[in-house]
Order: sequence, then C-alpha cells, then structure tokens
Amino acid sequence: MSGSRAKLQGVPTHQGRGWAQDSSASTEWLTTSASDTAWASGPGAGTAFLPAPPRPSTGSRQALCLWLPTFELRLELVRSPGLDSTSVALLSPGESTRRTIWQVSERAHEAGVRPGQLVSQAISLCTSLTLLEPDPAHYDAATDTMLEVLTELTPVLEPAGRGRVFLGMDGLGRLFGSPPEQVDRALRALFRVFPAPLVAATRAGMAPGKFGAWVAAAAARAGESVIVSEERLVPFLGRCPVNVLPVDALVVERLERLGIRTLGELARFPEPSLVAQFGEDGRNTLAWSTGRRIDSVRPWHRPRPIRASLEFSSPVGLVETLHGALDRLVERALSRPARRGRSVTGARLGAHLEGGGSWFVETVLRDPTSSRERIAAPLRAKMAAHPPPKAVETLLLELTHFGAPSAQTGLFDRKDESGREAGGHELAQGEVPPSLRDAVKELKLRLGHSPLYRVVEVDPWSRIPERRHALLSFDP
Amino acid sequence: MSNPHRPKLRPLGQPRAVTVRTDEHGDPVHVRLPGKTARRVEAVRERWRIDDEWWRETISREYWAVVLDDGRMLTLYRDLADGAWYAQRE
Repeated sequence: MSGSRAKLQGVPTHQGRGWAQDSSASTEWLTTSASDTAWASGPGAGTAFLPAPPRPSTGSRQALCLWLPTFELRLELVRSPGLDSTSVALLSPGESTRRTIWQVSERAHEAGVRPGQLVSQAISLCTSLTLLEPDPAHYDAATDTMLEVLTELTPVLEPAGRGRVFLGMDGLGRLFGSPPEQVDRALRALFRVFPAPLVAATRAGMAPGKFGAWVAAAAARAGESVIVSEERLVPFLGRCPVNVLPVDALVVERLERLGIRTLGELARFPEPSLVAQFGEDGRNTLAWSTGRRIDSVRPWHRPRPIRASLEFSSPVGLVETLHGALDRLVERALSRPARRGRSVTGARLGAHLEGGGSWFVETVLRDPTSSRERIAAPLRAKMAAHPPPKAVETLLLELTHFGAPSAQTGLFDRKDESGREAGGHELAQGEVPPSLRDAVKELKLRLGHSPLYRVVEVDPWSRIPERRHALLSFDP
Repeated sequence: MSNPHRPKLRPLGQPRAVTVRTDEHGDPVHVRLPGKTARRVEAVRERWRIDDEWWRETISREYWAVVLDDGRMLTLYRDLADGAWYAQRE
C-alpha cells in the first residue's frame, strides 16, 4: 500500500470484537464490495461529494476523514455492554410490517445474518439473535457531541452521515505538529466523549481532498490511520479498487464487467471514452482516479436548533394528547429568545418511547413562518403517516432550520407616513396611494413606461399553474 | 385588430425547461436550471399528476415537489406527451 499506515498512539486496540463491516479491512480492502464501502448507506451518506460551487477560497484542501463503521450498532453496544459478546442485529428504522436488518455484529455475521435480510430470515439463521430497535435520537445526539468536540480542533468540519466526518486540516501543522500527530490529536479528542472501544474502532485517513481521505480511511484498519501525502496520492489511488468511487453501484458494476478493476486501470482511458460510456460519472471517476479532482472540506454551517420537550407523567398513546402537547411545544419553542428575529423553515418532532427506543419525524416547511399552526400542521400530518410505534414518555421538538425574520410586506400595505394611511385617512378599495402614484409617474418619465405590474387572478382554481394568475401592467 | 394601449396580461408561473437526471424509477435525482450548477435532489416532498383538457390539446404532466441540496424547494414536472422536464413556480 502506498500510504503510510501508523498505529494510533495511545489508542487501545480492540482485539476479539469485530463487526460485519470490519471484516473487509482485516482481509485487505481489495475484497470489499461496493455495498461495504457504504457510499450509499446510512443517513446523509453520498452528500459529501456533490459538485462544489467554484469557490476556491473556501474550505480546506488537506482533509482528515474519521470513520466509525456501524456507528449506530456500536453505540447500542456501548449502552448495553452485556450484549457485546452475543449475536446482535439492529433493526432498520421505519414502520413497515416487514422489518429488515440494518446492521449486524460479527457473531451474527458469522451465523449468516446480513443487512437487508428480513427479521424472520435472520432469526431462522441465528436463533439466539438479539434484535435491537433503532434509537435515532440517541445516535444523532452522539453525532452532535462528536462534532462539537472536533470543532475545537478545526472550524472546518463537514459531517457526511452518522459516524463519518471530514476535518479540514490546512494550516494546523504549526499548532498540532506532523500529520500523524494531527490524527492522534483528533482521536484523543474523541476519547473525551466516547468510550475507548468506540474510539478504537475509528479509522482515520488523511490526504489531499475528501475522496483521498475517505479512501485512506476505508483502507485503514480499526484504530489505525493511513496518511497519504500529496506526491503519493496518485500512486496510492491507482491501486485502489473501482468500488471506492462515490458513484452509482451500476457504474462500478459496468466498470468491473469491462475488466477495469483498479483506479489505475481506469486512469489509462481517455476522457471522451469514459464520458461516452458513463456521461458525467465517467468524467468524475477519471478526475478522482488521476487525483485531478480534489474536493475541499467545506465548513459546515448549521444553526443551533431550538429544543423544547415535554415529559408525560405516564406514557401517552392517544393521538389527541400528543397533538395538544405538540401545540404547546411549538408555542414554547417559538417564544424562546433565540428564535426572535427568525422564521422557521424546518422542524423535527421526536419522542422517547416506553420501554426504550425513540422515534422522530421531520418536515421542511413550504414557506418560512412563525405561526404555530403552520409549523404544527405538517408535523401532525407526518405523525399520522408514521405514528410512534409505542406509547410516548417524552415528546421533543426541535426547530432545525431558520429563515428571514418575517415575510416581505406588500407595497400597498405600508403604514408609514407616505403609505396607505397618508393624510390621516383610510384609502378606499382600489384607491392608489398618492406616494405610489408619484413614484409611477417618476418611473414613466425616466423609462418611458410603467415598470410596475399588478397580480390579477385569471383562473385561481385551475389545475394548470400557469393559468391561475397573470401580471397586468400597473399604470394608475 | 389589437389595441396597443390595451393592458397586456402576462401569465405567471410559466414553465421553464430544465435538465433533469433520473434514477431507475424515473424520479429526479439531479436538476440543472438554465445557466446554473446541477443540484442534487435531497428529498421529494410531494408527487402528483395532472391530466386535463383531453377534449383539445391534452395536458398530461407528472409533478414532483422537491427539495434541492442547497435547501431550495422546486416544483418540477415531466410533460408526459414529449418527456421533457420543466420547473414551475406554483
């Protein structure tokens, strides 16, 4: 392998406990399949390699990728250490009656249990299998904690799904020392928030650009790091299998069918041939393989969410009660000082369930709003479509995304001195304020015509959107 | 004869042609508005179909209300008559 592989100093090894996704590393990663590389699995995965807008000044070229495979299952086992030596599987999130397996421990993997299998199949393969309900609220909280502690190292931080994060390391050499020391520093930071077994399972990869860093992390063994320097990037990538490419699995499959196994083999093809076969994906795969495309780590901007929660004295299953509680939570969250001056564009409703586990639904609001009803209504609809599977002990609301302070006021709604109420009298319906009339006159003198239009209803109930309203030249 | 002084109506929400990449189910996964960078479709909020005016020139459209990766919301439709994609303000 071209990259230097370093044992992480101070990180205890975690022998004897393996995980389904770890097996790829222990047998060298040329054997990993496209699904093992987890590009497309897990929330937020696949978001890291989008075409970045051309802003060369932002972001960090030197990237460090920290990756904790099967992050969610590991968190569960940290919570219930007694299960560590048993066959365990985490159920996939969702309310489907045909639940499937999401993540499996190595013991369960040895028994033939695989992610994606139906529960009935999994149990028939491993009768002692322990099934765990997912607890997304717990996983998200752990992710937030992890990001918070890493923010102290570098302000350029870009999460890519749970358990995987990119850190921008440009300019940190003087502060933290050589690249291995920087990696060590990052892992030591994780010790502050995670128990040793979890940190020991972390893989680290450092290279120029996110792709190189991710490939390096995927090549590292648990608890180790792979550091690839600028000059060794191309030979390092050249030996990597094509299934590390962050493209559709079908593209990888076709490349393999064409006999192209490594990025080095791919890099020998002329760009037009690849574009002819794979379109934009062909261009991107070549750029990544040859090290020409270096995706900077982009700083992640996420406003701090506003949270409100309500604990019930006894678990609640009645929808009406939950709706009432939701209304109260929205009111409480909206009245927080942190919300003032901002409207809400996204919210998330979650719950801690009776007997363990959690549940949540999310909504993106159509328009920014500060109205209780407009925030609560879509959450109620989501709750109806995906109700909590068990009685609720605690209901939690998070206002997650925010917009401009308030909706724009209309030109005709002005209440200032030169507006609608000018002269101390109310304007009649259809009457144009004198100030507006003067403004139009001035614009006509300057431009030769009135550039103002009025929106008129043509067929407001039409199913065809362009038939509903029209602009009518406004020339009072 | 048309009167040049008569105020003209300009329809609002006229569809704009866009370039869309779809997945194997025909759902949009990437959208490129004219002159802009392609954006990934983060989520599909709603999907519906319109079939109208069969008595003259049939209108048959499949709509998607999507959220793009930069947080913007966009309404797209595929004209089922010719397969072309359009973005439209509702």
